[in-house]
Amino acid sequence: MIKQFNKEINSDYFEEVYDFNGLWDVASRCGLKIVQKNDKTIVIATELYAENPGTSVTNFSAQLAGIIIRKYNIAHENLIFIVHDPEAKSKLTFMNEHFYQVDFDWDGTKFMSPKWSQIEKNTVDDLIKA
Amino acid sequence: MKFRLIYPKWEKLEGQTIFNLPPHGPVVFAAALPEYVNIEFTDENVDTISFDDDADFIGISMMLTGQIKRGWQIADEFRKRGKKVIFGGISTMLHAEETMEHADSIFLGEAEGRLEQVFSDFRNGKLQKVYNFLNQMPDINLIGPARRSILKKELYYHKGVRMVDLFHASRGCKYNCYPCAVAYLGGKCFRPRPIDKVVEELATIDNNRLFIVDNSLAQDKQWEKDLFREMIPFKKKWCSHPIEDDDEVLDLAAQAGAWFVYQAVFDTSDYIRNRVKRYHDHGIAVEGTILLGTDDHTEDDIKRLIDFLLEINLDLAEFTVLTPFPHTKAYDDMLRQNRIIDHDWNNYNAGKVVIQPKQMTPEKLQELYYYAWDTFYKEETQTEKMFKLFQQVIMKEIADGTYTRVRKDLSKNSFGKQVIRNANNS
Repeated sequence: MIKQFNKEINSDYFEEVYDFNGLWDVASRCGLKIVQKNDKTIVIATELYAENPGTSVTNFSAQLAGIIIRKYNIAHENLIFIVHDPEAKSKLTFMNEHFYQVDFDWDGTKFMSPKWSQIEKNTVDDLIKA
Repeated sequence: MKFRLIYPKWEKLEGQTIFNLPPHGPVVFAAALPEYVNIEFTDENVDTISFDDDADFIGISMMLTGQIKRGWQIADEFRKRGKKVIFGGISTMLHAEETMEHADSIFLGEAEGRLEQVFSDFRNGKLQKVYNFLNQMPDINLIGPARRSILKKELYYHKGVRMVDLFHASRGCKYNCYPCAVAYLGGKCFRPRPIDKVVEELATIDNNRLFIVDNSLAQDKQWEKDLFREMIPFKKKWCSHPIEDDDEVLDLAAQAGAWFVYQAVFDTSDYIRNRVKRYHDHGIAVEGTILLGTDDHTEDDIKRLIDFLLEINLDLAEFTVLTPFPHTKAYDDMLRQNRIIDHDWNNYNAGKVVIQPKQMTPEKLQELYYYAWDTFYKEETQTEKMFKLFQQVIMKEIADGTYTRVRKDLSKNSFGKQVIRNANNS
């Protein structure tokens, strides 16, 4: 478990704090884990709501995915992009841990039109631990 | 230079008592203007816009998502007439990309110390498309008394009774509540104003009744206690968002004139029951703010919650439905789950269902929203309950020697318009 934030975040899905400039260039941050599996690169971006001063991953999915593939030299067609909401230690179920796989259109230079599909934790585990 | 600042109207919630309060954002903004700017203000909720205005420059200040489409219309009209239009305010920040399509310029962030540049650019024909100060908070010491002199005070009376004036003692919020965008707008760091600055501003306000609009006063206990101690001599009567649940703080708040607080009631727990009781024990009334339609709410939960509100003797209740305002986790969740069913920003007034609820149909949630209002106010209407609270404050003012009578010259007016009195309409 990583305890550097208010929440304890499962380190299975979180390796580093990633700072980026979000909408309107606002300093923003997320958790980031990148896993290479065969020809696929799985990127898990963790929402850090309480600790993120700017744009959420969800609000910036296409742009953030583009920034990450350029920075880490990932082929766009090999990207599996997952948004992770960490457990918020709340009795409210909508604050539970959730995962979404995000699919994008590729216009030749950038990602567009994100589409989110909720996926189970087991599916993420299978992807990164297979 | 003449600058016309406009506050667009919005559609009020159906069935609710309408009170038009003097807006806060515009008067805070006006205080930050360079001296050479001659500002005139129009609140469209109580006044009429003249599109043939001779103003040099038009500003549109927007607080609510429900204002933005009207704000865009107003801007379009002025721009057709060759006027330059700049937008600001928190809804501009939430809807910046869309608003740019209707603007010559948008201002994002807090105004203190930044407006000289904007107006200088305008005068030199170099107005920038965006003034982006998002997340660059100005020195809190720069926030001086709001410039309430721009308001036409007579427009904020209902049958001779003056509405509360709005006032802020802090900015930012350390909490990160599910449906709220304040952390994005004002920063996640609580920024209390220095107490001497707050006192300086309080001394400028000629209204004895205030609404302290801070997101939550319960963020720094020592500051909160200092604030209330300094407020006591002013003998103001005020409402606010939550106050720290602490006997000493509540006692000081009551001495400082706490009239009623808005308190979120999210479940039927003893925690809530006791929270409300402790306010009441200190003579502070409670208006519950109740959000309906979260993913955990079933129809039975909502009905049980409403019974509970009556049981704990809430003085007033305000019901809203979960609305995914941009830059909230609620928005992210609804977007990702493809549950936003209505994209018309005019319907984002927290009284119309714009999402697919998890445990019921949108129609059922809408029905429960009306059920909540009707059931809570069945025995005593909202107006009657408000009148009771109003009587309480009058009694306190009489005891303090601060009571001022209603203005007889405005007794037949309601927010600038004449009202017809008859036997059934007192």
